[in-house]
Amino acid sequence: MTLSRRRFLEISAGAAAIALANDLFGLPEINGQNTGAGKPSPELSALAEIALARAKKLGASYADIRINRYRNQLVALRSAPDLATGKLNHVPAVQDMQSFGFGVRVIANGTWGFAAGRLVTKDEIARVTAEAVAVAKANSALQKSPVRLAPVKTYVDRYTTPFERNPFDVPVPEKLALLEKINSEVKAVPKVFSADSVIVARSEDKFFASSEGSRIQQFILQTYGQMRAQARDLETRISRSRSYSPAPVTAGWEAVVEADLPGNGRRIGEEVVEHLSAPPVAPGKKDLILMPGNLALTIHESIGHSTELDRALGYEANFAGTSFVAPPEKVMGKLRIGSELMNIVGDRTLPRGMSTVGYDDDGVKATSFDIVRNGVFMHYQTIRDQAHLVGEKESLGCCYADSFDSIPFQRIPNVWLKAGEKPMTPDDLIAAIDDGILIDGRGSWSIDHQRYNFQFGGDAFWEIKGGKKRGMLSRVAYQSRSTDFWAALAALADQRFWVNEGLTSDGKGQPQQINAMSHGCSPCLFRQINVLLTD
Amino acid sequence: MLTRDQAKALIDKILNLSKADECAVMVGAADLANTRFADNQVTTSGRSEGMVVSIASTIGTRTGNIRTNETSDDALRAAVARSEELARYAPPDPEYVEPISAQKYPEVAAYDAPTAGAAQKEMLPGIRAAITGSETKKLISAGFFERKAEVLALGNKRGNFGYHTATNTDYSVTARTRDGTGSGWASAERFRLADLDAPAVSRVAIDKAVLSQKPRALEPGRYTVVLEPAAVSGMMQLLFSSPFDARGAEEGRTLFTKKGGGTRLGEKMFSEKITARCDPFDPRNPGVPWVGEVPTELSEIGQFFFGGGSAQNHSFLPATRLAWIEKATVKNLVYSRYWAKKKDVAPTPRSSQSLVIDGEDHSLDDLVRSTDRGLLVTRFWYIRYLNPQTVQLTGLTRDGLFWIEKGKITYPVVNFRWNESPSNVLANVEMLSRPVRSGERVVPAMKVRDFNFSSVSDAV
Repeated sequence: MTLSRRRFLEISAGAAAIALANDLFGLPEINGQNTGAGKPSPELSALAEIALARAKKLGASYADIRINRYRNQLVALRSAPDLATGKLNHVPAVQDMQSFGFGVRVIANGTWGFAAGRLVTKDEIARVTAEAVAVAKANSALQKSPVRLAPVKTYVDRYTTPFERNPFDVPVPEKLALLEKINSEVKAVPKVFSADSVIVARSEDKFFASSEGSRIQQFILQTYGQMRAQARDLETRISRSRSYSPAPVTAGWEAVVEADLPGNGRRIGEEVVEHLSAPPVAPGKKDLILMPGNLALTIHESIGHSTELDRALGYEANFAGTSFVAPPEKVMGKLRIGSELMNIVGDRTLPRGMSTVGYDDDGVKATSFDIVRNGVFMHYQTIRDQAHLVGEKESLGCCYADSFDSIPFQRIPNVWLKAGEKPMTPDDLIAAIDDGILIDGRGSWSIDHQRYNFQFGGDAFWEIKGGKKRGMLSRVAYQSRSTDFWAALAALADQRFWVNEGLTSDGKGQPQQINAMSHGCSPCLFRQINVLLTD
Repeated sequence: MLTRDQAKALIDKILNLSKADECAVMVGAADLANTRFADNQVTTSGRSEGMVVSIASTIGTRTGNIRTNETSDDALRAAVARSEELARYAPPDPEYVEPISAQKYPEVAAYDAPTAGAAQKEMLPGIRAAITGSETKKLISAGFFERKAEVLALGNKRGNFGYHTATNTDYSVTARTRDGTGSGWASAERFRLADLDAPAVSRVAIDKAVLSQKPRALEPGRYTVVLEPAAVSGMMQLLFSSPFDARGAEEGRTLFTKKGGGTRLGEKMFSEKITARCDPFDPRNPGVPWVGEVPTELSEIGQFFFGGGSAQNHSFLPATRLAWIEKATVKNLVYSRYWAKKKDVAPTPRSSQSLVIDGEDHSLDDLVRSTDRGLLVTRFWYIRYLNPQTVQLTGLTRDGLFWIEKGKITYPVVNFRWNESPSNVLANVEMLSRPVRSGERVVPAMKVRDFNFSSVSDAV
């Protein structure tokens, strides 16, 4: 369904008539099947022309406009006893969020300028475009080297991340019924205090048009469900939680069904109760098996961030920080980051990856590339205005803005660790350990601003002694230096155990923007890592 | 900017569309301008005007929330209808509390017209000071200058209406040596642009970069520290948040849970020097005239939920001053409207809102001069919970760590990771400076004994 002819005429004729997101974007394509037939909306293209023509007239050498609509839906349920009566209360939260608008980016006098508006009218697009040019011209007084963009092909295309059932079409009562079932399963375990669960759906309708001729419409759909059990002991004043957080994915409701949240309720309930009375860890050097739910964040922090080119060049020095993977000329193809077993890919084409797109926010077609090959650093994550700084001819497609009114910049794509090539199960990894710990899920994490020194916790810890998995431990954190840690990678489970883990809210930039991406991996064995006893 | 009359008209229009038993609306409109620079030149810069309209419709005790930025009549009609549809889907909320009636909100002077009118051009002199100052000293600077003008308004079907305007500017600079062995940082936040001395901020960052070159490594361990206000502000953020929640304490989940049950209200847990308050009227950091949360980013909603609590109906009570800690003693905990009603006490503000920690009549230099052997900490980075219940945190030092010997700064030190609790810090305080605004809090510098540095961090 596209914009009605009548509505479009209203917008075109009356400059003040406001376009409605629902009219402009209509229904998303379902697996490439819709009336759009692979072409971007002509109405969106017509609105974009206003910005591109205006920017050119005002002297911009480059311009692009993004007209985007974002939708979020959160359905959540907290089940906890009333302290006075002991009656189990189910406290719901249901919220829809949407935003719609456009952002115009220009290069004038060799300097970037950006401005955004939320009223999608002809007049506003023209006004905001002029503002973007004014910002560029004002700042060009402090510009030393003009912005250079790596060449990109011209694309006229439409892209949708694959899905079977749109989670926004699943009735809220169906979602709440599922959450109540999940929480009841968790609460069925005696001594569990409370259960929380949530289902989140997020979509981006994106339209991109550039002065170089590209016209790209995309629909990106992200879905996930999560649950958590809490237990506490008033005598010892100890409280613990245990989560089941199946990977967030670019997919539909089918991903929530596959994740079998209710089927994991008893397990996490039993694990949180065991964790409550689990003995504290004896600190020291130990072998670790990190399950994908834990290792994903370690990949994110130590490799995902350190191989961002803007960090290496100092562009993020004032906030997120710089990187130990620098300077580029000394490290690309040379710096050993980890053991020979370590192969890490930057990838915006990964099926179901949270950062998977057809095209990035520079209009560059999605691609994949080696970040670490056999333990050696190969490529940074780049965007169009950076590629030339490391002697590369093309952008690797890592440009993203989290909103129509945010400035696109370099963000982490899906960054995943290849599974082991030899047949290897998690049990084989356990059998290879004399004194160690198996860690699952995410706990505390903290890493320095150059990504050397990190300290991570976890959600659940099991002791390994003499090649056997024993009972749970508590108060565990591991601390290492990124390169020491990856050098200690001794074995990886094979592809059968590879899981497409993902993150939903990585923060970077000033003003801060968020980003989602996947960090797939299989369970891995790291030798002799420093384990701490936390408070 | 949305005027009071326009805000009232928008809210009334939405309330008139409502068919639900109750309807509450919150509007946030912001005008933003910012400039980033790095490598001694401007990188990205932008302007935007945004709006969030949040509508909560309640049928019985079922509430549906919607948030949108589309404000045409058609869009608002659709949004109200959708919030009512969501309310019908939602199960009854056992923790529902009726919306508030008309309130009299206090005036908080937080808006400055020249600041609201400023944009990139007004930021250039400050940025130029950082860039030219860095070039003179052969340093590389990166930084961020932002100004925000915003309107917050709320209303409901029971006749409540509130309107508030605010401006804010913040400027921060990092200067680094070309060999990558030194880094200095400074920042300032003011609600009036005219009060923000960007060249002075730039000079502090530049001086710290020069002083911090080629640091020496010290052994991890417990040291006396002088924490600059930015370090204090960063570390106190997680203490003055969920730990103060009365419900969490009573349910046995937080620092303020008494062993065996109950709370530690009234207990002396900190140094006698510590008084911490909520003060939205403090002219150094004026807050909002009501108690509660302003619209949060969509992205945080998942995490936000896990803090518990039911759907909002924007029932915000007038802002007040309140002490959390008074001369060492835990004086108040945070009672939500639901928990307050259940416990038959008055609801209280959130502990994260308008925090002021009182100081003593000393300068930062006085704290350094009084220190025989210790470390001066510019700021902290990547602070996270190690154990939310004990508020044991981990984090790192960054952008200027210096050894103090006999009251003088003697040499730069390689950064440390620390594992420490802000609760211990407030117990181990020996001396405080006069408080200043740092980030969203007004805090003093603190001289603290036995601060636990756990490992060396090579990062510069």
